[in-house]
Amino acid sequence: MWKKEESKNQSVPEVAQASGTPANSPAPAASFRDLPAAPAPSRGAATISQGIRIKGEITGSEDLFIDGLVEGRLNLANGSVTVGPNGTVKADVSAREVIIRGKVDGKVAGRDRVQLWGTAQVHGEVQTDRLAIEDGAILRGKVEAGKPVERSAAERSATVGPNGKTGNVSVGPGTVTI
Amino acid sequence: MSLLNKLGMGHGARDVARPAPERLSNTGSRSTQVPPTAVGSTRVPEPQGTTNRVSNGLKEFLWNLDGLGRGTLLDLGAAWQTTLSFFIERGFRVTSEDLLRAWKDFLVKEEGEIRQATRTPDSLDVTPAGRADRFLRSNLEYPVASFDAVLLWDLLDYLEPAMATKTVLALTELLRPGGVLLAMFHSKKPEGFQRYRVADSSTLQMISAPVLCPAQRVYQNREIQDLFGRYRTMKSFVARDQLRETLFIK
Repeated sequence: MWKKEESKNQSVPEVAQASGTPANSPAPAASFRDLPAAPAPSRGAATISQGIRIKGEITGSEDLFIDGLVEGRLNLANGSVTVGPNGTVKADVSAREVIIRGKVDGKVAGRDRVQLWGTAQVHGEVQTDRLAIEDGAILRGKVEAGKPVERSAAERSATVGPNGKTGNVSVGPGTVTI
Repeated sequence: MSLLNKLGMGHGARDVARPAPERLSNTGSRSTQVPPTAVGSTRVPEPQGTTNRVSNGLKEFLWNLDGLGRGTLLDLGAAWQTTLSFFIERGFRVTSEDLLRAWKDFLVKEEGEIRQATRTPDSLDVTPAGRADRFLRSNLEYPVASFDAVLLWDLLDYLEPAMATKTVLALTELLRPGGVLLAMFHSKKPEGFQRYRVADSSTLQMISAPVLCPAQRVYQNREIQDLFGRYRTMKSFVARDQLRETLFIK
């Protein structure tokens, strides 16, 4: 698998697919390559403007743009949450897609994708299938990215190395100078 | 002397306090004070202080993962887009936990609590081993044998020896049998601090970063073997820059 991939230019990540990734194929990493210059409130998205402060739980299935302050809990299972450059969220955020340009303090779960722009400041855990992080973004916390892996118990308990190739690796300490 | 001073992290220690991360300048260039967790591979040129390094350790690491299919990887350095992309595109579920930053934050917090006397010294085990136990109670919390591979980078050089020992023990529990761990060891105390990210299947990028914790120890081969005594295979690659890349197979 690895050797096949070596022929690719690794410095150029594949373009993230919007949808339709086969379940058994690796999820392509998200990338900023194809994103617009800056996310703006999408048409029809609810907006919490700068200066607005909300405390409590927000749920729904529509898109939401936050440029104000939200404290509590955010759950938009099928929607997209965008935290604008002036937005501050002190809450766990769960949505289909999460785009962050402002500050988030809490756990961020994006079912499809999480994007951290260069101005993003995230303190908390990030969980998603695809993650895009731009230079300059600040991320303090654990990251879990990629499709969840389910493996059989037999595989887990295997005592030989993956692919059974450990026989070619030197046993015991060894040193190779290059 | 405070705990942080003992560890070389108190006031006056070089470049320890993390400054507000510098933003990209208008010219698109950036200083060597790259935010350690800042990541990305597009839009801007490579950060200054970035050097490429051909890594035989990484090659061997990947070779051992060849054919695994979808696996789980624990990256104990900062989360970098290139590293995440590299492994996610190959079907891995990547967990990234910046262990050294968490350790630094833990020490600073503990120092503050002791100063404020919110916890009496009598009730607190202030030995290095006690500190390590307290730290690991809230970090590296994963199910046993939940990872196929671990990127430890050179973190052990920067941890207190007791903490390094307990970290290796904890990682050994997290790694499934046959799993691989890639670590690096400096042959002499490093003056600066570097972050690592995967550029391609044989190249690592080393990015200069502000020192989080000064190097604590230089490990000799025998000490490394003792530290990883529960692993059945150990293979080292020593490059010209005297940075040893060592692959361990559980």
